[in-house]
Amino acid sequence: MYKTTYDHWSKTKTRRIVGLLILTILFSAAAAPLSAMDAEEIIQKMEENQVHQSAYSEGRMIIRDRFGEKESSFKSWARGEDESLIEFTSRQERGQKILRTEDEIYLYFPDAAEVIRLQGAALRDSVLGSDLSYEDMTGDKGLLDSYEVELLEDEVVDGQPCYQIDMRAVSRDVPYPRQVIWVDKELFATRKVHKYSLSGKLLKEMRIQDYITQNGKTFPARFVVEDKMKSNSSTSFIIDQIDLGVEIPEATFSLQELTW
Amino acid sequence: MKSRLFLLRLAMKNLFRHTRRTFITGISIAVGLAMFILIDSLLVGIEEDSTRNLVLYETSSTSIMKEDYWAEKENMPLKHSIEKPEAVIEALQPTGYSAAPRISFSGELIMRQDPYPEDGSMQTRVIAIDPSLDTEVYLLDESISRGRFLEQDEMGVVIGEWLAEDIGADIGSPLTIITRTKSGYFQTIDVEIVGLVNTPNPIVNRTGVYIPLETADYLLEMNGAVTQIDLSFPYTTDLKESTANIQSALSKLPPSTMDELAVVDWKELGKDFVALAAAKSGGTKVILFLVFLIAAVGISNTMLMSVYERIREIGMFRAMGMSDGEIRLAFLMEAGGIGLIGATAGVLLGVLVNIPMVENGIDYSFLMRDFDMGYRITGIARGLWNYGTIVSAFVTGIVLSIVIAFIPTSKALKMQVTDALRFQ
Repeated sequence: MYKTTYDHWSKTKTRRIVGLLILTILFSAAAAPLSAMDAEEIIQKMEENQVHQSAYSEGRMIIRDRFGEKESSFKSWARGEDESLIEFTSRQERGQKILRTEDEIYLYFPDAAEVIRLQGAALRDSVLGSDLSYEDMTGDKGLLDSYEVELLEDEVVDGQPCYQIDMRAVSRDVPYPRQVIWVDKELFATRKVHKYSLSGKLLKEMRIQDYITQNGKTFPARFVVEDKMKSNSSTSFIIDQIDLGVEIPEATFSLQELTW
Repeated sequence: MKSRLFLLRLAMKNLFRHTRRTFITGISIAVGLAMFILIDSLLVGIEEDSTRNLVLYETSSTSIMKEDYWAEKENMPLKHSIEKPEAVIEALQPTGYSAAPRISFSGELIMRQDPYPEDGSMQTRVIAIDPSLDTEVYLLDESISRGRFLEQDEMGVVIGEWLAEDIGADIGSPLTIITRTKSGYFQTIDVEIVGLVNTPNPIVNRTGVYIPLETADYLLEMNGAVTQIDLSFPYTTDLKESTANIQSALSKLPPSTMDELAVVDWKELGKDFVALAAAKSGGTKVILFLVFLIAAVGISNTMLMSVYERIREIGMFRAMGMSDGEIRLAFLMEAGGIGLIGATAGVLLGVLVNIPMVENGIDYSFLMRDFDMGYRITGIARGLWNYGTIVSAFVTGIVLSIVIAFIPTSKALKMQVTDALRFQ
């Protein structure tokens, strides 16, 4: 009697355990695409979203510091992730150009009719007194080549759930040895970036406040860069218009064209 | 010979017969020459002091660095640094010159309100020094005006006293330096001000920022490398000879290390000052020429007056049968006599006034504090004994008087005796 009852109890328990296992496997398989996305995949997807064949945009840069506010407007042409040309159109800086090629940055000043190749410490100079350096413009190309990434606990930034990714430099070619990046889970676009010094001090914070979605790709339309080492210092970038996939002549990103 | 003696006696008699005229002309010569001696003493003294302060506080006698670092010195690229400084210092031992390793790098000083009066930042050159070896080459440790000198491996900084005043810093104030490591990473160095330096070199007082070498070595990931090895040798050593000695010592290093090293003397290191000094030397010559011109015009004027007012006397000598040559000689001797009296008085006056100028100098600190005049002196401008100038001033005073007297005398001698006698 006792044996029969025990056998029955034992069979029932075994069935329950097997059922639970099947359920777990089923649920895990269904949930896998959502939770198993690792940091590298997130970065890849984010970069795919940000890089485009070609783009033309118009925008403004607003620099705020303890002396007040200054606005500069610009036009920009970009091809792939390596080439871009920015031409300032505001009265004070009209005609000044910044050309970024795969390896170099060149400046053109119309008053002096002179092209300057930026190198060494000059790359650390700020762009028109903003919180962005010329070097910042060259950075973040192929993040996975330069950084080892690790997924941290998800966080909510500006009301949006985000992946939080810790990036530690493995290459010596990048200026920031550590960055923490928050990637919007829905848009796969950067929401916030923190850039640190080697001794761990937060140097710069970038926050994206608005996006433009075109041709299935999402771009920052408005973002703010703050120099955390200086108080009351920030620069806002506002993209007023962007056209993707536009025809850009080959010569646009050449030195000859820069002086025209 | 007899007639010459007579003429000399005549000249001397005339000299003391017109005491007032001799006195006034002599004073005019004396003041001009004394001014010439003093200005020359001051200008040469300032340049000499500046050179000494440049070498002892800023550049050292000679510096050894990588050629690429020297080529890009404005950017101070840490990637072009001397990997094994100890080997270089050891190779230099036979020269007998003192050596100190340093790391010079660019950084941005960050000041935050409280304790500073307001938030701010400034780009500057930061120099990492070995507190024990640096004192063999530089005199920074003797110029600490407040606080103390650096200690090895501490998170401390010594800055120029004027810089501290400008940014509102004091002993104990925190400073953050944003810079880049040797490999290019951003780095922040948090230090505390432990001392202020007040040197005779205004550049050091205005911009000097010094941290310990070991601290910089760790935080900039230098792994023992330095940007330069600075050397000190006696001030009088010939630079060509010292450079040859250093290069000969360095030739014992492995070729790969030696080939890339540049030996740069203080004249090259302080090129801005040397160029300025050269430009100012031109200016100095113009100033001295103007002083000389003022003195010469003064001497000419009084000599002309003294000869012109005696044209009737010249007419009388000629009427009495003296030859033109004798008359000219007598007048030139008289002019030479006035020149001798004036030059002697001028040299005596110049030397007397120059004594306190050399000993104490003139305090220009109120001017030097706020204006960068390029000279490496902070306030006291001291004179210098320039014996060449004193001798040439003395000779010039006499010769000029004689030359100037020659013109009106010749003119008077060309006149008819009757015209000369009636000359008003």
